[in-house]
Amino acid sequence: MSHDQQLRADRLVFYEKEIEELNSELDAFLELSKAKTAMLIDREGHLVTRRGESIKSSLDSVSALIAGSFAATREMARLMGEDEFAVLHHQGVSNSIQIQAVGPRTLMGVIFDGRTNLGLVRFYAQECNRRVKEILDQVEVQSSGRGSGLAENFSESAEAALDKLF
Amino acid sequence: MVQINFAQKQINAKIVYYGPGMSGKTTNLEVVHQRAPAPNRGDLTSISTDGDRTLFFDYMPLDLGTVAGMRTCFQMYTVPGQVYYNSTRKLVLQGCDGVIFVADSQESMREQNIESLKNLEENLAEYGKNIADMPLIIQYNKRDMPGAVSVETLEADLNQYGAPSFEAVANTGQGVFPTLKALAAVVLKNLSQESSAGGSSPSPAAPAAPAPMATSDGVPEQSAQFAAPAAAQPGGENHPPAAVPSKAADSSEADNASAPLMETGFTPRENGVPQPVSAASAQGSISGAPAGTAMQGQLDSGGAASTAVAPAPARQARPRPQTAGKSAGARPAKGRQKAAPKAPVKKQGNTVYTIAFIVLAAAVGAVLAKTILSFL
Ligand SMILES: Nc1nc2c(ncn2[C@@H]2O[C@H](COP(=O)(O)OP(=O)(O)OP(=O)(O)O)[C@@H](O)[C@H]2O)c(=O)[nH]1
Ligand SMILES: [Mg+2]
Repeated sequence: MSHDQQLRADRLVFYEKEIEELNSELDAFLELSKAKTAMLIDREGHLVTRRGESIKSSLDSVSALIAGSFAATREMARLMGEDEFAVLHHQGVSNSIQIQAVGPRTLMGVIFDGRTNLGLVRFYAQECNRRVKEILDQVEVQSSGRGSGLAENFSESAEAALDKLF
Repeated sequence: MVQINFAQKQINAKIVYYGPGMSGKTTNLEVVHQRAPAPNRGDLTSISTDGDRTLFFDYMPLDLGTVAGMRTCFQMYTVPGQVYYNSTRKLVLQGCDGVIFVADSQESMREQNIESLKNLEENLAEYGKNIADMPLIIQYNKRDMPGAVSVETLEADLNQYGAPSFEAVANTGQGVFPTLKALAAVVLKNLSQESSAGGSSPSPAAPAAPAPMATSDGVPEQSAQFAAPAAAQPGGENHPPAAVPSKAADSSEADNASAPLMETGFTPRENGVPQPVSAASAQGSISGAPAGTAMQGQLDSGGAASTAVAPAPARQARPRPQTAGKSAGARPAKGRQKAAPKAPVKKQGNTVYTIAFIVLAAAVGAVLAKTILSFL
């Protein structure tokens, strides 16, 4: 792989249109399942998009923990000869979360409470998962073909930002 | 892996502090957490043992500010340095975009530094990455220790890649920000770099990129995120300029040592006034009170069976003494959240537990499946 290809393979670029498509899938899912919050997170723990109710504590931290949780249980799965656990469910007293793999690079996290139940969430998430995966597959294909799309002056602007912060 | 999100006008990159046990990785992140301006930093979350050794990772998001209309964020992690925890260490390294290697300057740690660097190479290789291609900064920490080895020796031991390196005394804050700034510069440069570093043709052979929906239309609300660092650091006592790069790669580093973040003092956690993290700050997080956990393998992912397990005792995020850093003032203290696991997980025992767990889960799952189906 050339350096260029490597750079592109190492990044995932989302454009507004794609996020809009993903958002409308998540919105439809929330409507049907009555879950509180749905989010897509890449496996490194970076949030892609969130819909529904906001999260009380830091969304970034929750995203990082979801990715960490998934990664750790995947290792456990491997010990048992599984590729990964496709679905995780953490049950709390009032809030629960379901974490589901969506394709090779992304996770879907759903937070729900007593207004719905695991069965409904699972059922609709499965359907949503399939559609979301199709969109993400396209993003991946296009991501590898396109540049970062960052402004020409990104480099200088980055230096200025760093000088300002540090 | 960098994520560029034009809808959110945000760029996310993952950076990792690596190095042997007790070298000061967590301390580095704590300093960043305490001294970065409040609007720029997020919560610091630690998954560590009772004795403050990192078990899985520490995590903190840092907003670097708006770059060419994009809010640029670093998701910063530390790995557990202890040899024993290689499996979790490797997980944290996945998809990382830059590494700060924190070496311990003490004579007794020379071997462990070298081992840890070798381990970094191996773990990167498992993800198909070559350490030579990875943005890397080396920090020689604990320069204050009486038996500190000379920088020349450390360079010879560790820096075959010619990475920029910095001296530090992380628990006083010295050298922490110069190190981070150097890595940030490389990571961001990498980001904007489209053509090969090897000096090949500058025009990318790739098909024309679709024009981003939004790039140059500015992000007014983001600029407010950038409070002047000086204003956010009231009353910090001055320290001598932080460590000077031991490789004079960039003289501007030394000049910048006069910038606010680089000169404000830092109180190490041991000497700090204990200040419990407000339980409320951790309570909202998912890690706060899980009453049970269920996992489903691909085995049954096609079926309707759902697995849930008998509730385990809730792990509460415990208050922990926190450094009395710069959290004074009007802004709410963003506490260090601690998701405290009970004990280190042993690998072999783990397999047995896991299997027992799955058997149990499958049985419970069969019963639950009926219940759940009745809901649908
Ligand atoms: N003297 C001295 N002590 C330091 C320095 N940096 C960190 N320490 C102390 O070293 C100890 C270990 O630091 P940590 O930051 O927890 O180490 P770590 O690298 O995160 O360790 P693991 O999580 O086990 O991998 C703490 O007590 C720190 O206060 C330094 O520059 N000088
Ligand atoms: Mg640590």
